[in-house]
Amino acid sequence: MNDKKIKFRFFTITQWKQEQEFLRQQHNDGWKFTRLDALICYHFEKCQPEDVVYQLDFNPDGRAHKTEYVRMFRDCGWEYLQDYTGYSYFRKAASEMDGDEEIFCDDSSRLDFMKRVFKGRIIPCIVVFFCVIIPQLLFQFHLNNSYGNILAGIFAALGIVYLVMFGTFAIQFLRYQKSIKY
Amino acid sequence: MDAHIRKVYAPMTETGFYILLCLRETMHGYGIVQKVEALTRGEIKLSPGTMYGSLSKMEKDGLIRFVREEDKRKLYCITDLGTQVLELEMKRIERLYRTMKEVRENERQKN
Repeated sequence: MNDKKIKFRFFTITQWKQEQEFLRQQHNDGWKFTRLDALICYHFEKCQPEDVVYQLDFNPDGRAHKTEYVRMFRDCGWEYLQDYTGYSYFRKAASEMDGDEEIFCDDSSRLDFMKRVFKGRIIPCIVVFFCVIIPQLLFQFHLNNSYGNILAGIFAALGIVYLVMFGTFAIQFLRYQKSIKY
Repeated sequence: MDAHIRKVYAPMTETGFYILLCLRETMHGYGIVQKVEALTRGEIKLSPGTMYGSLSKMEKDGLIRFVREEDKRKLYCITDLGTQVLELEMKRIERLYRTMKEVRENERQKN
């Protein structure tokens, strides 16, 4: 019997919520997340179906002080799984919580989390967008041969993915900022 | 107290308030989580991501300082600046509470 599986899923930098939901759903279906590699390969092993909450944090300071950072989560009952592309993965069984629990308990810290994602991941993407994708797109387009057209098409598609990502992030960020009350 | 501190911490979040309130004694992050849970009879459960982020931010802003490490946990305590900020916030909350009481008392008398 096959008790291991790999699922291929691509989540952009702004889709941490979808990623958390995906991992929770898998665990609910009896597949426990073991690791993520090669950007899109999610490894699972068979387990008892259980409602387990998965959460992602993005904290460069925490990654720099790993032992103390992980210790704080462990003390609060969160199992540390791995770091990947700047994100740290945690999980906690719903049965160990009273009510809903997340690794962030107020909007202000959720906004801080998004600011860290912006600084650590979105700014580099903006640089790539303006320094690589746009110049390449214009350059390949001006070559005007079939090879160039294909490349131009690829860069155009990449450009659209990036724009959608920027847009999604901006909307999420503004929505959070609006919901913060003093 | 400079403009940045005023902007961020006056008023401050509930998490920030509890951190400063607890750190008048030297304590680690999880100790604060436990103490707040006990103080509020389980009503407020601070989360580790929020806790870790708030502690680093407050340390950077000079409201609290790192004391020592114990069993892989960082112990902190409040600074003079932190005490000033906490007192300001306590006064604000006292004023809020007093005003609320007075307004409700007046309403009751009218009816």
